[in-house]
Amino acid sequence: MWTRKAAFTFTGGIALILIGMMITNNQMMILGLALITFIVVNSWVSGHGDIEVQRTLSADNLYKGDDLYVELLVTNRSNRRTQLLDVYDNIPHEMKLRSGLNQMRLNLKPGESARIRYVLRCPLRGHYSLGPVSLRVRNTFNLGVEDMYVDHHSDIVIFPQIKEVEEAFLRSRTPKMYTGATTLRTPGQGSEFYSLREYVPGDPFKNINWKAFARTGDLMVNEKCRDAVTDLYILLDSRDVSRIGTVLKNPLEMGTVSAASLAAFFLKRRDSVALSIYGDGLSYLPPDTGDKQYFKILSSLAGVKPEGSMPLQAVTNSLSGRFSRGSPVFIISSCEGDGTVPAAVRDLVGRGHEVTVLSPSSIDFERLVSRIPRMSYEVLKLERQNRLTTLAGSGAQVIDWMPDMDLSQAIMQVRGF
Amino acid sequence: MAGEVDPQSDVSLLGGRPRTLHLKMLRKQWQIITLQVVATIALVWMYLEVVSTYVVNSIDHTMVFETLESLVGEVPIGDWITGEGRQGLARFYVPIILGLLLGGSMALMAFQSPKLQQRIKLGFIILLMVSLVGRLLLTWVPSMIFSLDFRAPSEGELKTLEWPLLMILSLVILFVYLLPVIMGTRGIWGLSRRSIGWAIGFTLLFLGIHAILTFPLIKSQLGDWGANLKTLETQVSDPTIGIFGFDLVTPEQLSLILIAVLIMVFQESGFGVIRYLEYAYRLPESCKRDPEYVKQMDNVLNGHLRHTAGFLTITGLMTMIALGFHSVLLEVVSSSTGSQWAAQVSESIELSLTYGLVISALLFLSLIAVMRFFIPWERVWGLIESLGNKTEAPVEEKKF
Repeated sequence: MWTRKAAFTFTGGIALILIGMMITNNQMMILGLALITFIVVNSWVSGHGDIEVQRTLSADNLYKGDDLYVELLVTNRSNRRTQLLDVYDNIPHEMKLRSGLNQMRLNLKPGESARIRYVLRCPLRGHYSLGPVSLRVRNTFNLGVEDMYVDHHSDIVIFPQIKEVEEAFLRSRTPKMYTGATTLRTPGQGSEFYSLREYVPGDPFKNINWKAFARTGDLMVNEKCRDAVTDLYILLDSRDVSRIGTVLKNPLEMGTVSAASLAAFFLKRRDSVALSIYGDGLSYLPPDTGDKQYFKILSSLAGVKPEGSMPLQAVTNSLSGRFSRGSPVFIISSCEGDGTVPAAVRDLVGRGHEVTVLSPSSIDFERLVSRIPRMSYEVLKLERQNRLTTLAGSGAQVIDWMPDMDLSQAIMQVRGF
Repeated sequence: MAGEVDPQSDVSLLGGRPRTLHLKMLRKQWQIITLQVVATIALVWMYLEVVSTYVVNSIDHTMVFETLESLVGEVPIGDWITGEGRQGLARFYVPIILGLLLGGSMALMAFQSPKLQQRIKLGFIILLMVSLVGRLLLTWVPSMIFSLDFRAPSEGELKTLEWPLLMILSLVILFVYLLPVIMGTRGIWGLSRRSIGWAIGFTLLFLGIHAILTFPLIKSQLGDWGANLKTLETQVSDPTIGIFGFDLVTPEQLSLILIAVLIMVFQESGFGVIRYLEYAYRLPESCKRDPEYVKQMDNVLNGHLRHTAGFLTITGLMTMIALGFHSVLLEVVSSSTGSQWAAQVSESIELSLTYGLVISALLFLSLIAVMRFFIPWERVWGLIESLGNKTEAPVEEKKF
């Protein structure tokens, strides 16, 4: 395709020839002819996009906020030069260039390669695809340009961030006993001896090993092996209402971070974790343990989008039959626009589950993006407090999670879990 | 796969100082300097061609100075500067050197800090004002103070204005004549698209105005002054210059082709340098240090140099062949048929005038353009290149 410069040159050439003919001026005519010849000669050789592209990523999965190193190897496989070639690697608009550049102007000889290296920051979780690679072949004198692309994609999953959750705040009160040998070689509540360790303030006196104290002179306590695992159920609210706030800070984002962190914590303890995400529909990941389950949970959380308006009671009605008796249930929801939450919580508590409601404060998230009059804010806040108080009255432990509060800080509000 | 990709590193190519795409370093790169030198040579050559074709002994600056001297007296600028007394193109040698120096200084100034630029401009204005009215004020004001008489300057005192006014007028005349050289040099070395545009625009404007003024109807109205204007022959004489045994163009036509090609060389080299330096400037810091970017910049610049030399030479040759194509055609017809038709056509007035010439030239160019679809030029080029170029071994990167 001709560029504007080529069009002007050609038009100018024709105009000069015509004017030169009109006023019988050789200079104008020859100048016009030279311009036309310039266009003709330049049309003989054009560049090409007959190249091979290979993209290498530093990882296939990353955590939100991590850096992704990308290397694009561009090789000219043909027997002629590419001429002036602009290579541009298309990246998702959610990712930001941290270092380097995703484009290069090159002129590859036959068989020659060039590497484009750049670093992307991934501030948002999700499933992404890098590519295709756009190519723009230019004439050296910028007279012709041709756009094309190489349909080469690389997929990447950005997991939600994992926050550190302290052991002291999350202890199972309802261990599930399995038949047979289920001894876990990790210290915790159990009956089998694990090791001796030094006494630290707060340890129960009944655990002190007096014989060891008599022998060494130091207070020592017996540590036991954990001989039980817990089934933990996480219910994540991904309804449309959970998008309130900014792109990076909204109830859904905080919900995915907390769900991922809790799952990571419990799976590390070798507990079983189940995840249910409700919004447009209901997705359920049955309880399981191990790295595979960890990966499944993170993948599910990476793809969560705020949509739909499924009520919580519909979720509990459909799933509560599958929940293990007495197992803890985590409900992560802003509890906005869902009148069935108290009934659903009552139902779960009635079935003997330990219910914890982790509720990101959507009103405070909304304040991040729009100005709410003080009076309206106070009224809305009061309504929310009433709602949470009702949930607490139903027997659930309720955590009011403010936008600026860290997850472990928020979980501190729960005692004896 | 994880860990295979490393962040970009600051590396050197083939030992020695690390090469980067920082402007400071890139401006000293041989390809950039070559392009700038080529552009400057093309500019001066084009100017000399235009001047020798249209201006010398017709409307050149020495003639203007002579007229000025006959009207108001001796011009304060020395003859060795203006070129008065010399013959032909020699009149322009010193002014061109001065124009190059002035353009170069303006380019140099463009790279100074805004504060320094402001100071230089202020200094220039003060110097201009002092040289203009300095002597007048130094004679008139003290004489008023000592005689305690508030009066208008006398005729003798006013005469002190004559020299500076003539000097400024002479400089302005020289500046106007040398505008393409000054602005072109400033544009090439000062990386100013606008200045290059001015240089080309002024040259084309001059050619346009000259063409209009030499149009027979208008020229006849200009009287004696119009008679001084150099007119190119409207009828084409027998060609004497050619290639492959064919006489294609006359010396006058060759000179005109040269002007057209040199304008293009100047334009493409000048703009090319700016385009590539702009690209390098916009690259982020990490890319400027990346050896891949440095290597590709080399490739791009080498490609531009090759194309400037190759394509513009071919453009010149093709234009020559296009202009002489009618004679080639007639010669072929004459030799193949042996009839008188070719000889009759070659003597026809239509062919001698521009019409036949242009039609045959455009016919030739159309054929050449269409040949693109029949002859795989790109494959031919590729074959030549792949024979000539052996792929270099990949550059070893510095390990950390």
